[in-house]
Amino acid sequence: MEKTVLIVEDEYLIAMDLKFMLERRGWRVIGPVATVAEASSLLEVELPSVALLDVNLGNELVTPLAEELSSLDVPFALASAYDRPELVGGAVLGDAPNVGKPTAEARLLIVLAKLLED
Amino acid sequence: MLNLEDLYRILRTGHVQAQGIVDTVPVPLLVLDSALCIQSANRAFFRTFKVERYETIGKHIYDLGDGQWDIAELRLLLTDVIPKTRAIIEYKVEHDFPGVGPRTMLVTAHTVFSPDDVSTTMLLSFVDATERTHREAEFEVRFGELRHRMKNLLGLVRALANQTRTEGVSGEEYRDAFLGRLTAIIDANEQGFIGGGDGNLEKLVVRTLEPFAASPDAITIDPGPPVPLDPKQLMSLGLALHELATNALKYGALSKASGQVHVRWVVEEAGGRLLRLIWSESGGPGVSPPVSTGYGTQLIQFAVAYDLGGKVEPTYATTGFKVEMAIPLTGTTQQRLKAGGKDGPDRGR
Repeated sequence: MEKTVLIVEDEYLIAMDLKFMLERRGWRVIGPVATVAEASSLLEVELPSVALLDVNLGNELVTPLAEELSSLDVPFALASAYDRPELVGGAVLGDAPNVGKPTAEARLLIVLAKLLED
Repeated sequence: MLNLEDLYRILRTGHVQAQGIVDTVPVPLLVLDSALCIQSANRAFFRTFKVERYETIGKHIYDLGDGQWDIAELRLLLTDVIPKTRAIIEYKVEHDFPGVGPRTMLVTAHTVFSPDDVSTTMLLSFVDATERTHREAEFEVRFGELRHRMKNLLGLVRALANQTRTEGVSGEEYRDAFLGRLTAIIDANEQGFIGGGDGNLEKLVVRTLEPFAASPDAITIDPGPPVPLDPKQLMSLGLALHELATNALKYGALSKASGQVHVRWVVEEAGGRLLRLIWSESGGPGVSPPVSTGYGTQLIQFAVAYDLGGKVEPTYATTGFKVEMAIPLTGTTQQRLKAGGKDGPDRGR
């Protein structure tokens, strides 16, 4: 089965890095996009197997998207520099694993693989 | 020989002197006996907690000021902690004092044993650390934000290192390519700080292209109207220009002594300000569209499209490579400033 991941990250260099990292490992990347609105409209076209979200998107928080993903049963991980992202982005982020930022490739791959299994 | 009358006198004046000294201490002070009744208090105490001398002296501390000192944390300190030790330094007590308001007090306690007496007295001082605590909390928030930005910046460096090509290049070539990109970002970032104001396009173009000009007329810059840039725009455009110059040096006009790069820009005002930056090369080797997109080209695409909401239009004319970058100035700078984005006025990026 094809593994797809939606990437939401406002910093373009980091977005590119995550995209290339995951593409090298056999993921098909949807996005990356920098805003909740863009991500939402991508969800209308196609539901990804998992999503990888930055918490602070510059002028907005990723929270509404996390809520949308939860209601669509799409599991997601966070790639955030915050130690406790739920304090910034709300309870909906509380259960999501955080792969951290800077993001180590090994941890990213393990966490996403685990999200696929669950 | 000292008679009883003299002794009383000394004790009395001694007491008056001691009271005088205690009253000059700016920190609220209490002297308690072993039963926790107030023997003495200084002016700072009365002033700080808005109480009178007559309603204070002789009272049990928990009955003082309608029970405002009957605080769980203080009870713990006085009954559990103090008996086990002679001194407590700056024990934090948070309490909402009637008529005074919520305060954070640092309580310091000293037990004093009088040599002629088995009874003990206790000196309690109170430092109002409410302001300090507020400042500390504010500092925590700012420090957290700084830490977050630093991690972001490290993530960026990591991304650059990870994405600079390793296939078929020597270690030295890799290092130069990586450091070239990093330097472009550092330089652009630095310009956002100089003079405390925004950087501008002309300075950015001049500074970024400087290291690539082998001869004075290899790169000509035709400045358009002044364009102020915010830190994000500076960094993204700086890196895009660096990639264009690197490509020109490797494959384009700057790879030949006769080659030239010409940079100019215009600002269109029709319906929101739009910057058109035109990069054209001439006198270089023959040009043909590349079969695959290199990382540098993707970087330019991402920097301009993803980060600045603009468009990149390359043309591979036989006379030389040409690219036009169209970047909206209204949708990013102004909106970001109006929204007071996460970077805030101190331009921490």
